[in-house]
Amino acid sequence: MSADLNIHGASLSRRGFLATGGALIVAVSVKPGAATAAAGTTLDATAPASWIEIHADNTVHIRTGKCDFGQSSIYTAYRQIVAEELDMPMSAMTEVITGDTDRTPDGGGTFGLLRTNVLNLRKAAAYTRAAVLTLAAQKFGVAEASLSIKDGMISGGGKAASYGDIVRGGDFKLTIPVSGDLMSPRGLLVDGTPPLKKPSDYKIVGQPVMNPTIRPKIAGQMPYVGDIKLPGMLHARTIHPATLGSTLVAAGKVDKALYPGAQTVVIGNLLAVVSETEWEAVSAAQQVAGETKWTEWKGLPGHERLFDHLRKSVDWTVYPTRDGRANRGDPTAVATKKALKASYNVPYHKHAPIGPMVTLADVRADGSVTLHTISQNPQHLRGMIARMLDISAEKVVVRTYPGPGHFGRSNGGSAGTEDEAVLLSQALGRPVRLQWMRPDDMQWSTQSSAMVADIAITLDDAGRIATYEAEHRGPPMQDDRLVGALLAGKPVIPAPGAGVAYGFQGGELNIADAWVYGTVANVREQGFGTDQLGEKSSPTAVGLRDHSMRTPIQFQQNFPRESAISEAAALAGADPIQFRVDHVDSPRFKTILARLRDESGWVTRPSPAPTAKARGKAAVRGQGASIMLRDNGYWACAAHIAVIPETGEVKVERITLVADPGIIVNPLQLKRQVQAGCLMGVSQALHEEVMFDEGAVTSTDWSSYPILTIAEMPELRVIIAGDAEAGIYGQGSESANALAAPAIAAAFFDATGKPARRIPLRPDHVKAMLSA
Amino acid sequence: MITIKVNGQDRQVNAPEDTPLLYVLRGELGVMSPKFGCGMAQCGACSVLLGDEEIRSCITPVSALEGKEVTTVEGLPARWARHSGSAAKDALHPVQDAWVAEQVPQCGICQFGMMIKVTELLEKNASPTDADIKEALTTSGPSPHLCRCGSYAAILDGAHRAARLMAGEVK
Repeated sequence: MSADLNIHGASLSRRGFLATGGALIVAVSVKPGAATAAAGTTLDATAPASWIEIHADNTVHIRTGKCDFGQSSIYTAYRQIVAEELDMPMSAMTEVITGDTDRTPDGGGTFGLLRTNVLNLRKAAAYTRAAVLTLAAQKFGVAEASLSIKDGMISGGGKAASYGDIVRGGDFKLTIPVSGDLMSPRGLLVDGTPPLKKPSDYKIVGQPVMNPTIRPKIAGQMPYVGDIKLPGMLHARTIHPATLGSTLVAAGKVDKALYPGAQTVVIGNLLAVVSETEWEAVSAAQQVAGETKWTEWKGLPGHERLFDHLRKSVDWTVYPTRDGRANRGDPTAVATKKALKASYNVPYHKHAPIGPMVTLADVRADGSVTLHTISQNPQHLRGMIARMLDISAEKVVVRTYPGPGHFGRSNGGSAGTEDEAVLLSQALGRPVRLQWMRPDDMQWSTQSSAMVADIAITLDDAGRIATYEAEHRGPPMQDDRLVGALLAGKPVIPAPGAGVAYGFQGGELNIADAWVYGTVANVREQGFGTDQLGEKSSPTAVGLRDHSMRTPIQFQQNFPRESAISEAAALAGADPIQFRVDHVDSPRFKTILARLRDESGWVTRPSPAPTAKARGKAAVRGQGASIMLRDNGYWACAAHIAVIPETGEVKVERITLVADPGIIVNPLQLKRQVQAGCLMGVSQALHEEVMFDEGAVTSTDWSSYPILTIAEMPELRVIIAGDAEAGIYGQGSESANALAAPAIAAAFFDATGKPARRIPLRPDHVKAMLSA
Repeated sequence: MITIKVNGQDRQVNAPEDTPLLYVLRGELGVMSPKFGCGMAQCGACSVLLGDEEIRSCITPVSALEGKEVTTVEGLPARWARHSGSAAKDALHPVQDAWVAEQVPQCGICQFGMMIKVTELLEKNASPTDADIKEALTTSGPSPHLCRCGSYAAILDGAHRAARLMAGEVK
């Protein structure tokens, strides 16, 4: 090949000839002159960082900077989508390399994996397929248009060759156009419009492919993040301040008689104990913690006053108001007789991984830094670590491993421990493995923001919604700053705030719950943001830090909206499912709502149930429904519950979930994702509320932050009926997480006649609702 | 010095006597499947079998285990080989096979303890009901076995499949 070939805007070159082997690798080229093409946009040229590698033995390696957290899409759906686009068999997709900053090509956050993120690989595969066709046409001496590919064999003009045959002996490099900044929170995006396969031609997408990582994991053969060790490694425990805003007065001293191998490290307000052995570090940290003095700080309202505080004490005019995209008409100009006015509350939630965060950091004498950790955004973490140490990002490598799921907490890079481990390793000149204890993880990690909503719905004479108004208020839901760096007084990215343009650190509150009742003529939804609680008054700028979780903001806005719609249906004397059918405009919603009515054992009638009671020892039962639109996926849920009014106990007996999420890439994995995401939502509906006093989070363990047990699991019916023409790959865990809470709340209203306008439906809250 | 039997092998332990078994297994003996979850026997991520009983290794001092036999997930295949008399190379315990077949784990951090607890149950009750499985994983020990991802439906499927595998009803 004498000159580079243009492949739909990508550039294909042969860098040389090889006596053995041969490969085609897909590299990146950032658009010259692009504003973002500054330092950090190019990959280390010495590292193999291709998206896709085609080898002479017909094997394919796939690389992505995203990380799998167990939902498996990267190991199942990504392989299927790449195999499909290449027209190669699944068996050829032999390796998937993920989330190591020195070995993977793109950055960005791990979320919505099948929404925008997989498009990078899909496009890279499409460019690759086109490049191989070009090479095959040269080899066969025929026109490209006469070639076809089936099961990895390219044929045309009476000749045939495999992908491996085409690349054998060559050292091909396909450079594809990308934009963005590798270490920005959003990472790189593949540009251009290579020819993509039509979904109607899919054969591999749609198959129930098994997750290849499960066997090595459950056999104990695949190391988890906490299992990584390095020679000379020290074990560390952080002793965090007494409150979120406390500063260090005097660090306690290690009792050397008891713990001869332990020592303290103090960096600003960051205090830690390290030892050669882990148990000595744990024990000595407890002893030192008891003798350490911190300043007092009171900057939080406490969880019991939280909703009052948000409603009465916050100035909501500081941040610009965000309007819903569906706003139309003028709700204030419509006069009607029947009206619902109601206020709804969602508390703070913890991501609450089963294992607290752990990082092994190795800062070497030459200033290079390697982190062994778990992260949903390793490249942005790498950038933040470099910023903290004021060194070039070229010196920082982040390696990631499987670990406890934390559901969005690190999609901006950090979930905790990474920065603290690095600072300790730098101070001590040895690798340091820092494991947070359970209370550290509960108290010093971020949480999903609390939000309040005021909703007004009016009905016309026919019982249809005439106007819908909603005001949603809450803190901003994303703070990616490194908390250990804040304590140590080291540089961090900007704090969330109004108008902050960095990453996801803006403070305005968007309307994230897509409007679905398209037949309503007058709609006004508004979002009001504020600062994180306590942050501005905290000497360390650490307040009650917020972060996205699973279905961020949409969860907090869908619960009030769907609860209010169920109450409005009652006001109209209408069946809650029929009321929704009458107000949506999407045929996809009408289809899944009809399916929900058929599959859930639904009794068509208005709420409350004729048997509804708010008193007594006997269980009362109810049904409730909710719907949601997310990522062009349509979801409907029915909950059947029992309530014992006298004790306030709520038992969820059955959840039926019907989803049309779009193209089903892998029905087996999607089912498991939906089941799990849904049950986590049941947990949030029944149990979860972060407790805190005026200075600190007081939910420190599983007894003060209980989650759902298997004994509380309802009968779970999941029906997935995807629209293959929807133009989006169906996702599971995120969406499924949000639906249970409003359906359960509506079932509570049906069972008792009393609305449930807050979660969790814990006995003390339930008794208060029933006596209201 | 204390000697404990871990997955069929006598192992000498140098750690101080008050060291919880979890730290001995992971730090000193290189047995990594028991995971640190809470350190307070509240979650079950660190479960191991002591003889035939599930215990929480995060709160069990190693001094209590002199001469006792500990089985972790790494030792389940050999435990099954002893029970069943078969020893196919690379074979897993039926509970592990079931966990693969049913694609049980999401993140998987709790599943080592879940598999230990289900193994304990199935050795005593060859065909448990849903209620038996839920009881084992909730009220039978010091705390429920918690899964944050919400894989409980899959765990139930996995436990039933494991029972059928152990009974030889399916392969």
